[in-house]
Amino acid sequence: MSTVQRTIRFTLNGEAVAADVPTHWNVVELLQNRFGLFGARESCGQGLCGCCTVLVNGNAVSGCLYLAAFVHGAEVTTIEHGAAGRELDAVQQAFIEAGAFQCGFCTPGFVLMTRQLLDEKPDPTEDDIRHYLSGNLCRCAAYPEIVAAVKLAAQKRRAGQGR
Amino acid sequence: MTPFELLEPRTLREAAALLASGDATVRPFAGGTAVMLMMKMGVLRPTRLVSLRAVEKQYSGIGAGADGALRIGAMATLSALERSPVIRNEAPVIARTLRTLSNVRVRNVATVGGHLAHADPHMDLPPVLIALGASVTTVDAAGGRTIPLEKLYSGYLETSLGRGELIAEVSVPRQAPRRAAYLKCTTRSADDWPALGVAVVLDTLRETEGAAVREARIVISAATDTPTRLAKAEAVLRGARVDDAVLQRAGDAAASEASVIGDAHGSAAYKRELLRVYLARAVRAALAGEG
Ligand SMILES: Cc1cc2nc3c(=O)[nH]c(=O)nc-3n(C[C@H](O)[C@H](O)[C@H](O)COP(=O)(O)OP(=O)(O)OC[C@H]3O[C@@H](n4cnc5c(N)ncnc54)[C@H](O)[C@@H]3O)c2cc1C
Ligand code: FES
Ligand code: FES
Repeated sequence: MSTVQRTIRFTLNGEAVAADVPTHWNVVELLQNRFGLFGARESCGQGLCGCCTVLVNGNAVSGCLYLAAFVHGAEVTTIEHGAAGRELDAVQQAFIEAGAFQCGFCTPGFVLMTRQLLDEKPDPTEDDIRHYLSGNLCRCAAYPEIVAAVKLAAQKRRAGQGR
Repeated sequence: MTPFELLEPRTLREAAALLASGDATVRPFAGGTAVMLMMKMGVLRPTRLVSLRAVEKQYSGIGAGADGALRIGAMATLSALERSPVIRNEAPVIARTLRTLSNVRVRNVATVGGHLAHADPHMDLPPVLIALGASVTTVDAAGGRTIPLEKLYSGYLETSLGRGELIAEVSVPRQAPRRAAYLKCTTRSADDWPALGVAVVLDTLRETEGAAVREARIVISAATDTPTRLAKAEAVLRGARVDDAVLQRAGDAAASEASVIGDAHGSAAYKRELLRVYLARAVRAALAGEG
């Protein structure tokens, strides 16, 4: 094995996996090219927009700025986690009910970030929401609906509806 | 991005040794948020990256010594800093600054050492930490040294760190009883790179003693090549009771002494005007304890 290629082992959405990757690949390239997962997608490629959001050991990161080699030994969670045959969670349901997207390109990132926010702050103020999501961009500009969706998701979670 | 070799030494000293050749295509890599951007833009094509992620855990610590001075490991993430109760208690201006520094995902990954070493004058923590009187401790083949943060920056994206010299730790004198504020002016969106940053740390007499300013440290960023202390503006505040006339004189002093340069965020003339306004606002915010 050359020094510019390595084998990484990690947990992907709860499953133990391994992959051979060039050391200069980022996490988006890893997920798309080795696992056929396209929920995290590269848009700005600069850490600004959040379309490439994934969780590494429970922390949100920009997949576009995170080297694939560094998820070795880590737990990686993407928007696809638990998607097969499960019901939507409170955040996803709230985004639908509030109409918080048009094209949906940015939605995986917003959903993952909103889950993180509500884990940290179950009852966020509008200011909390705007600060926390300032690193997520929506080119369809569904921002008012997104903020409403986050509030709705918080309500649903507190009422015990959905995960 | 082009292929490179990725090394993950287990100690900071080993990492420093791997960088000692001074080969510019061999680079330290901490959180990598800045390095990744430079590689993506093609301005950096490393042959080798020396990751600091696997070095001793002590370099990720955040704590306060008996004197209240804060010790922050170079590998501590900006999120860890933001959430640290020690930081909130001993230097609340740092926690407040972090709230609008980049975004959650970058803060989860970026490190204090990488943040300070990057030397982009638009960055937020350097002016704040210089105003508080911080210094960095380094590690290299010869051992290491302590550098006042004020002396770390030598130019745009340039530091006075030697070949194979790495930041190991940052030491920050506690804020209290001083009052501090950092204000930045962004001209496009709220989380854009600033056109100007102003950090102010004031040591004031108590209300009963006349509330005059005993000592002032003022540092600006984004409008100058490196974070810059404004000695003349500081002198205006020293010994004064703050009122509109004093703030006007301090603003005039600041605008005339700083080597302001224009960029995409504003012309030099505009930034000089911003400086007058934001210096006054920052002093007032510090006195009100709301910066
Ligand atoms: C989308 C985005 C928005 C941003 N917005 C802001 C903002 O609003 N305000 C702001 O202040 N900053 C902002 N930044 C910049 C960010 O703060 C820096 O990218 C980050 O702090 C760098 O830390 P790092 O650990 O990722 O550094 P790296 O990318 O790992 O390293 C940065 C530089 O320091 C060197 N280096 C790393 N560690 C050490 C060490 N211990 N000793 C010596 N040299 C070292 C590296 O070789 C490199 O030259 C933003 C960045 C992004 C991507
Ligand atoms: S693609 Fe990664 S943050 Fe925009
Ligand atoms: S819904 Fe289209 S980018 Fe957000």
